[in-house]
Amino acid sequence: MNKKLSAIVLAATTVISGALAGCSGGGQQSTEPASSGQQTASPAGKTTLQFWHSLGGKNGEYLDAMIKRFNDSHPNVEVVGTFQGTYDETVTKLQQAIAAKTAPDITMLERAYVQMFAEAEVLEDMTPFMEKSNVSKDDFPEGLMGHSVFDGKVVSLPFNRSTPIMHINKTMLDEKGLAIPQTWEDLKKVAEALVVKENGEVKRYGLSMPYDTWYPIAMISQANGKFFNEEGTSIGFDKGEGVKTFQYLKDLQSSGALYYPPAQDSGNIVNQMFTSEKIGIMFQSTGVMGTVKNNAKFDYVTAYLPKDEVFATPTGGANIAMLADSTKKEAAWEFIQWVNTDPNGGQQFILDSGYLPFTKKMVESDAIKDLWAKDPNRKVAYDQLQYAVDTNKDVAWPQIMQEFFKAIQAIMYDNKPIEPTLDTFKKEAERLLKE
Amino acid sequence: MGFVFPFLWMISTSLQTFEETMRFPPTWIPASPQWSNFVEAMSSGPFLTYFKNSVIVTFSIILLQLMVMIPAAYAFAQYKFFGKGILFGMVLLAFMIPGQVTFIPVYLMLADAGLIKSLWPQILPFMSNAFGIFLLRQYFMQIPQEIIESARLDNASEFKIIGKIMIPMSMPAISTVALFSFVSHWNDYFWPLVMTDSEAVRPLTMGIAMLRETEGISNWHIIMAGNVVLVVPILIVYLFASRQIVKAFTYSGIK
Repeated sequence: MNKKLSAIVLAATTVISGALAGCSGGGQQSTEPASSGQQTASPAGKTTLQFWHSLGGKNGEYLDAMIKRFNDSHPNVEVVGTFQGTYDETVTKLQQAIAAKTAPDITMLERAYVQMFAEAEVLEDMTPFMEKSNVSKDDFPEGLMGHSVFDGKVVSLPFNRSTPIMHINKTMLDEKGLAIPQTWEDLKKVAEALVVKENGEVKRYGLSMPYDTWYPIAMISQANGKFFNEEGTSIGFDKGEGVKTFQYLKDLQSSGALYYPPAQDSGNIVNQMFTSEKIGIMFQSTGVMGTVKNNAKFDYVTAYLPKDEVFATPTGGANIAMLADSTKKEAAWEFIQWVNTDPNGGQQFILDSGYLPFTKKMVESDAIKDLWAKDPNRKVAYDQLQYAVDTNKDVAWPQIMQEFFKAIQAIMYDNKPIEPTLDTFKKEAERLLKE
Repeated sequence: MGFVFPFLWMISTSLQTFEETMRFPPTWIPASPQWSNFVEAMSSGPFLTYFKNSVIVTFSIILLQLMVMIPAAYAFAQYKFFGKGILFGMVLLAFMIPGQVTFIPVYLMLADAGLIKSLWPQILPFMSNAFGIFLLRQYFMQIPQEIIESARLDNASEFKIIGKIMIPMSMPAISTVALFSFVSHWNDYFWPLVMTDSEAVRPLTMGIAMLRETEGISNWHIIMAGNVVLVVPILIVYLFASRQIVKAFTYSGIK
C-alpha cells in the first residue's frame, strides 16, 4: 500500500473506530495464558518484551530455546517471542500494529523490508545504545550490514542471515574427473558433462536452482552489473549484464544441462532432486546445508557461486530491529546486546540452526571454529561473505520484485526473447522507482 | 477423482519418514507408517489451545450467524418495508468485499476497543453472512404462503413461525450455510493471522503454519500430519451435515 493511500485509510478508520470505542459495552474477556509456558501477566518489577519473528519449524524451536535461555538468566526481563507468519506476513502485521499502537518492542525484519520501515521512521536508531555498550558497526561482518544503516542511523542489526551458495555432489564430479567450477565457463563445461540422457530424455541434470529472483540477481552482480543504478532511478544491468545472465541460463537449459524447476514448490523439488542424485550441482541457500548433509549419500561439498567478471553474492534472511514506539527500549537493547555478545545467545542459535555467524567475535569463538573444522561447508558460506553485495536496495523493491518474477517467467518458462523482456521490465522498474 | 489425489498425498506424506519425503521420484507407500509424526506435530506447540480456539471461534460464528441470518432472511422474504431493496442491495454488496480489503480498519477498530487479546476479533466480523442471508431468503420465499397465513390465523407469533415452520422446512439451506461457514472459518488462515498477536488466541491453522521452515527444508511429514489433524473434524462434520441435508431434501412441506 502506498503511503498516501494508507494515510487516508488510517485517517478514515480512526474516525470510525472512535465511534465504535464509544459504544463498546464491555465484552472484554482476558484469555488465559497459553500452556506453552508463555506468561501474559508478569510479576511486579519484571519488564515484559514482545518480540515478533518469522521462524517456524526447527529454526523456530531453536529461537524459542534461545529466548528461554535469556529469560532464565535475566530475572528482571521477560521476552515473549511470537511467530507472526512468513517474512511478508510479518511485514503486514507490523504495518497494521504500528498504526494501531499494538506493535512489539523488537521485531525480526526480512532485510529487504528494513528500508521501507526506516523511511517511515518507525524504527529506533540504536546508535546511542551501541555507544553506551561500546559496540561499533565494525563488530559485524560488512557483508551483512547492507540493510542496517539508513540516513546515518543504525536501524537494524543482522541476525538470521543466509546467502546463496553452490552445493556440489563431489562424488559425481570425481567420477568424471571434473574439478569444482570456479567460473561461469567452468560451470557450463561441468554441468554439460554431468548430463545423462537415455533415448533423448534427460535422466540426470548438471545444474539447477530454485525459481527465485535471488539467483539471477547474484549472476547479474557476477557479470559486474548492479540491480539498481547508483541514483536509484533505473536498473543497473542494461549494459548487457542482464542479457548475458539469462542467455547463459537459456543455453544451459536448452542443452538439458540446466533443470529450471516449476515455480510451485521449486525449492523442495530442487532439494529432493539433489539429494536423490538427479542433479549434480545446485544453487541454493545456505539454509539447507544441514539437512542436505544428513540426507546425502555422497561426498557433499559447497563452494562459492562461480564468477563471471567478479565473485559476488547477494544475502538473505532477516535482521533484528527495535520499534521507535517501544516504551521499554533499555530492556530491548539488553536483549539485543545479549543476543549479539553472549555465547548462549545468538552464537548458540547459529550453531543450532546453521545460519551465518553475524558478529566477528562469534567467528573467532572456539565453538564456531570447532563447527567449521567438523563441517568445512559452513566456513565456505561465511567466507563467501567477503563478496556479499546487495544491489537490489530500494523501498520499491517488493513491487519491483513481482515484475522481475514476471520477466523470469517469460524468459525461463515461455521462451520469450530476452532483450525485449528485460526492456519491458526496465520500463516497469523505472515507473515504480519514480513513485 | 482428481480431487482425491492431493488428499491421499497428504495422508501418505503424513506417514512417511523424513528421508522418504526427500526422495525423488516421490514415495507413495511409506515403508512403515510413522504414527509418531502425529505425536510430533501435536507436541510442537500448545495444540490443545489451538484446537480449543478453533472450536470456540468456529461454533460461535455459526451460532451468531444463524441468529442474525434467519430473522434477516425472513424479513427480506416476508415483509414489505421502505428501503427493502436498497438494504438487500447493501447485504449483497457486503458479500462482494473480500477480507483483505477490510482487515486494517477492522483491526484498528478492535484494537481501539481493546479486544485484540481476546477471541472476539475472529468472531465479531463474521456475525452475519451475506451469502447465507441471500440463500435463506430464496428458500423462505419458496415456502407456500398458505402455511404462513394459516399459522398467523392461529395467532402464532412471528418468532414461532420462524421456529416452527421456517427453520424445519429450510433445514437443507440452513445446513448448507452452516457447513460452508464451518469449513471456511475452520480452515481460515488469513484472518486469524492478521487479527491475533499471541499464541493464546490462535487457531489450529496458525499452529500448523508454524511447522513450516522459513528458509531451509521443511519437515513435510510433520506438516502433513498436522494437516490431517486439521481436516479430520471437517470430514466428521461433513458426513454429519450431508446426512442432514439428504434428510431435509426428502422432507416436503405440504403433506
